[in-house]
Amino acid sequence: MIRFEHVYKTLGKTKVLQDFSFSAEKSKIICLIGPSGCGKTTILQLLAGLEQVDAGRITGTEGLSISYVFQEPRLLPWKTVADNIAFVLREVVSPDRQQELIRKYLTMMGLYDYWNNYPKALSGGMKQRLALCRALAFPHDLLLLDEPFLSLDIPLRLNLVRQVAGMWRNNPRTIVFVTHEIMDALLLGHRILVLSARPATVLDTVEIQIPLEQRDIGKEPLSTYYTRLLTWLKDESVSKADSTR
Amino acid sequence: MKNSSWLIRGLLPLFGLALFLIVWQVVAGFYNPVLVPSPVETGLALFFLAVSGQLWEQIHLSIIRGLTGFGLAVVVGTPLGLLIGLNTIADSLFRPLVVVLQVTPLISWLLLAMIWIGFSKVPVFVVFVTTMPLIIINTIQGAKSVDRQLLQMAITFRVSRRRIIWEVYLPQVIPYLLAGLTAALGTTWKAVAMAELFSVNRGIGAGMAVARMNLETAALFAWTILLIGLGLLTDRMLTYLTQQKLTHWK
Repeated sequence: MIRFEHVYKTLGKTKVLQDFSFSAEKSKIICLIGPSGCGKTTILQLLAGLEQVDAGRITGTEGLSISYVFQEPRLLPWKTVADNIAFVLREVVSPDRQQELIRKYLTMMGLYDYWNNYPKALSGGMKQRLALCRALAFPHDLLLLDEPFLSLDIPLRLNLVRQVAGMWRNNPRTIVFVTHEIMDALLLGHRILVLSARPATVLDTVEIQIPLEQRDIGKEPLSTYYTRLLTWLKDESVSKADSTR
Repeated sequence: MKNSSWLIRGLLPLFGLALFLIVWQVVAGFYNPVLVPSPVETGLALFFLAVSGQLWEQIHLSIIRGLTGFGLAVVVGTPLGLLIGLNTIADSLFRPLVVVLQVTPLISWLLLAMIWIGFSKVPVFVVFVTTMPLIIINTIQGAKSVDRQLLQMAITFRVSRRRIIWEVYLPQVIPYLLAGLTAALGTTWKAVAMAELFSVNRGIGAGMAVARMNLETAALFAWTILLIGLGLLTDRMLTYLTQQKLTHWK
């Protein structure tokens, strides 16, 4: 179980987290949903160890192998598509296994034909998919997803959400998934945390009991959850951080 | 389209060169050859230097001196630039010195080197001290412009420090380093000729000194053309290396 216990974090002069607590159950998908700039990315960076808490503590991440899809693709432009994935695998899996993983995930994301291209030849959406390939191929206990489907059109997004759900079913691991798309959260999350504007607090926790493969956005009972989440996110006082940024 | 680009890239520079030679020939016609030798006289001087064996002897000495000073500047300047770019203490400690090195006049280095290290090593030393700041400053810029987001990515995926330096830092520093090398190479041939002129009796600069004393202005022009050729050749070679081998992914 990963826990944030009364965490405080200030970036520059901005209080991003103030007495923030939440827990993520092992091998479950937890979604953080909330207005832009509320501190969702900071939560992931704290989990990844890229930022340190000012006060409070984070437990349950010690010794975990962490994989991360950043909001930007963060690809190495001087390496080919395949080498971008190999870059993170080289020290953790054998060369044969590297090739196997690269082939598997590039095929899954429809990028296999581009394996020998440089990132400049890819569109924005393809770059984001490559970043997803890299994160999925890296052997991990905890997967951090920071709006990974942001620049993708709806059919592709739904397809990738299903791919991630399918992967999780085959090999359940803890995923912390940040989004501001209610649909993605409903299709992928076991637990959805609705966050307020900065400094982030948890406004609502929605536990979704429906198995991932049975979720259909247009049908009951998922649409009930949709309405509940939309009520929070439509509330101007919740998203006031946007207008003050 | 293809034909017109071939015309622009291939034919127009030749046309420009021909125009320059014609203007030079016309202007030279109005003056004494001791003041302004014509292209033909310059060409003849070049030919005589070549057949007398002087040309190869002097040129190869200058190339060795220039490349030795330049090579030393690369070997010392690149790691120093990386250190200053990546470490704030090294930045505070060394950056003022680099600026001092950069603004010190060439002639001061030349005269000091003659006093300190003896005449024969002056050209190598002068090339070294004048090109090193260019390499250091460009490397610092490269190191400072490294994308922090890519570093974060590599750290998250637990890539080793050694591989981060080789595979994340260096590819981002290389374009800046190459810009520094290009500027430094341009300076190298000017510095080597200047140093040879004052300090030694062999090399292109020394050849120029002899030509000046004997009022052989055509030979002076010939040596100058050789220096320009050397500069252009090394610049082209570096540009080729940059485009074909090191930044082909851009």
